[in-house]
Amino acid sequence: TVVAERNNSLSRISSAICVTHGLRAIHATATCYKHHAARIRVGKRDKPVTYEQALHPHHIAHRKGWLSQHTSNLEGEAGAAERTVEDVFIRRFIFGTFHGLLADELVIKRRGNVLVVCALLVQKVGPQKIYFLIGYTEALLSYFYKCPVKMEVQMVKDRVVYKYL
Amino acid sequence: MAALCGGVVGSSFCRNHQLFRLLHKSFIGRLGCNHVAAQHTAPSETGSAQEIIIPRKKKWNEEAVLQALASTVNRDPTASHYRFQDDAFLTPKTSSEFKLFSQSQEAGKNAAEYVVNTYPKYFTKDYAEPHVPCLMPDTLKPQVSDVSEGALKELIQLRKVRQAVSMYDQLLQAGTAVSLEMTNDLLDLICFYGDQDPQQEETPDQEKSEDGEEQELPPKSRRGRSRKLEVWRKDNNAERIFNLMAERSERSYSALIRGMVKYGAQLKAFDLYADMLNNRMSVDVNTFNALIIAAPEVRQKYNEKWELIVEILKQMKEQGMRPSLLTFNAVLKSSRRCGPAGRMQALQTLSEMKAVGIEPSLASYNHILAAFYRTVFGPSASFSNVSSDILHKVMDEVSGKSFIARDPDDVHFFNYGMKICCSLKDLGLAYRLHQLLGVGDNWRFLGSPSQEAHYYGRFFHLICMMETVDTVLLWYRDLVPSLFYPNSGAMRDVLQALDTDNRLDLIPEIWKDIKRLGLSNKAGDLVEEVLSLMARDKHSPEVHESFAECALEVKATYGSGEQGQVTLDWTASALGNIASILLAAGRTKQAWDMLPLFKANNRVPAEKLLDDFLSSAMLRGDPQRAVTLVQLSASFSLPATARLAQRVQQECELNEEHKTLLVELEALSHDKD
Repeated sequence: TVVAERNNSLSRISSAICVTHGLRAIHATATCYKHHAARIRVGKRDKPVTYEQALHPHHIAHRKGWLSQHTSNLEGEAGAAERTVEDVFIRRFIFGTFHGLLADELVIKRRGNVLVVCALLVQKVGPQKIYFLIGYTEALLSYFYKCPVKMEVQMVKDRVVYKYL
Repeated sequence: MAALCGGVVGSSFCRNHQLFRLLHKSFIGRLGCNHVAAQHTAPSETGSAQEIIIPRKKKWNEEAVLQALASTVNRDPTASHYRFQDDAFLTPKTSSEFKLFSQSQEAGKNAAEYVVNTYPKYFTKDYAEPHVPCLMPDTLKPQVSDVSEGALKELIQLRKVRQAVSMYDQLLQAGTAVSLEMTNDLLDLICFYGDQDPQQEETPDQEKSEDGEEQELPPKSRRGRSRKLEVWRKDNNAERIFNLMAERSERSYSALIRGMVKYGAQLKAFDLYADMLNNRMSVDVNTFNALIIAAPEVRQKYNEKWELIVEILKQMKEQGMRPSLLTFNAVLKSSRRCGPAGRMQALQTLSEMKAVGIEPSLASYNHILAAFYRTVFGPSASFSNVSSDILHKVMDEVSGKSFIARDPDDVHFFNYGMKICCSLKDLGLAYRLHQLLGVGDNWRFLGSPSQEAHYYGRFFHLICMMETVDTVLLWYRDLVPSLFYPNSGAMRDVLQALDTDNRLDLIPEIWKDIKRLGLSNKAGDLVEEVLSLMARDKHSPEVHESFAECALEVKATYGSGEQGQVTLDWTASALGNIASILLAAGRTKQAWDMLPLFKANNRVPAEKLLDDFLSSAMLRGDPQRAVTLVQLSASFSLPATARLAQRVQQECELNEEHKTLLVELEALSHDKD
């Protein structure tokens, strides 16, 4: 560290009592970046944003729930990484299959052997197309993960806007 | 949640809680329910339309919580079928939507299976412990490529009939001897599929041509069901291979006989059977069953048919074969075709079954009912020879038992039983039959969705005919639309039931259901019936008001709708009824708006309608309208014009131009006479 020179006699005297009046020091620490994870920053107030998107991650368990529910994060349980990778694949897969239809993030629940994918879809296409896609994803993901996969779908007229940021 | 609220019910803390209000509402409804086990009595109404008054303190019954929980165990009448998603946009509202949605879900599943089977290498990683074989990709392509017995075995396993036959021919040409086992397997395959490649699971409407070769499929319509039954061709691969075989075992004969019976070549089957007997081969039970089924086709007279069946049974006994359930069911099925004597034989067969110790299945009871009630449904339906005790006796035997599927014909029992109850007009029996459906696993015997629809359609028809309107409505709310979607005939039955018991004020609700079921655009006569029932009698003012609202909705279904919407054409009675309903409710302006529609659609109004309009115009003291009315009737050249004109002249205060007009119109009408 670099310490500036004290020319002042006053400062020489006061240094004994440790007053740092007039002392200028440069601190150097590790860089503290701003948090950017899962946050949409406030802007011109024209961007519609859902409840899920508007609330920041530190609100999880306070004002938000979890998007992925499984027990492998508990004490003594294994497989957390595998579950996470599966989740990521499932989210991308469904985003592509139900293209333009997802109103909000998926909620993935694991109960025993069953994988339940809860989706919120927009009423853009007719119900028979939705049923085709549901049958397709359920079957394909079951074959892929070798476990029963069920979809629980709720239809919504439009994306539900919580705020404009 | 229920326990929580049950505990804190008395406390004031919970009284204002929103959730408590919701639960309280459902508790009132559930406590009013009948006991769960007595399912044949109609369920009572949930308090959806009652006023909810929350008391300061309520004493709960000790078993209240248990009763509430118990009421959730049964079927939920507000939910749709379990295969659909629980969302309002995604629930099917008509029977065509039901079929469409379930088929599209199936189609999605098939698309996924296609993807999995086309790219199996992405799906081979096995996460599951223990191994789940049904979630692994199927290898549908044969692995072994050379000409050998192993390849033939694989083709047989993959059910590729044509390729297997050509592989067999190649093997014979190459000179390698094919083992008897393998040849028998091949014969089994060919005879089971009738020398055609097995086609995909298809709906009865679809038709596929295999590999470009057009098959001539004469549509043989069997009793009520039209199935394209393929015929056993003369130059069959099965027969050819059979003749080529050096030594033939019982299995080969058996396969060939059963194939022939399945595909309609009964005489040949009996020839082969004679061959077998000559060669002193032992015949197995399945072959005997097939022969018994084929027996009625090869003889003409009733007694000859029965004699043949008895002969086959005797030979079975000689060979020491024990008859199985399927044997007895085959005998019962064939005895249906043996005329009146067949009935006594059927009962004797049943007692023999019990003596041997084989429990009769639903198919056996179905065949017996068919034998006895055959005359009820024929073209000359007669009740003379029918002892209707049989169904009672059968129900006595069958009540309270849970059955397992042991015969493919088991699924016809409930449908046929309900058909009989309907024609006998026996409601008690119908309730017993319905109660049997609730026992154990018996719901599986309802069959395909169309069979289910027939069953519930007949049941509901019977209820509408025989029960009071309250019971009808309770069953209606229970069955519709979660279990079946009524067609226009069923809705007419409901309207008739309402009419019989003078509950016509419920018509607007029924109309809402009709619209939701999609029947309003298709069944014109149903809509007209609704209108005529509303227009017919006089009711209290509130009822007339609700009728008027309903009539305006009905008006929207007629006439020109938005593009692509199917609408009905206006009829004179429909127009007249709507107008009179509006008049009766006091909505004169809208009623008068209906009059130009007559002219626009080229329909003639009834005289009574014009009289009503005239009376209303005179009540309001509006002579202008009265005169326009007379002009309207003159434009239609109605014979009543003169009478109307006279009436107007007598009863209204008219000014000069009105009087001249009327005089002209009267003159015109007199000229026409």
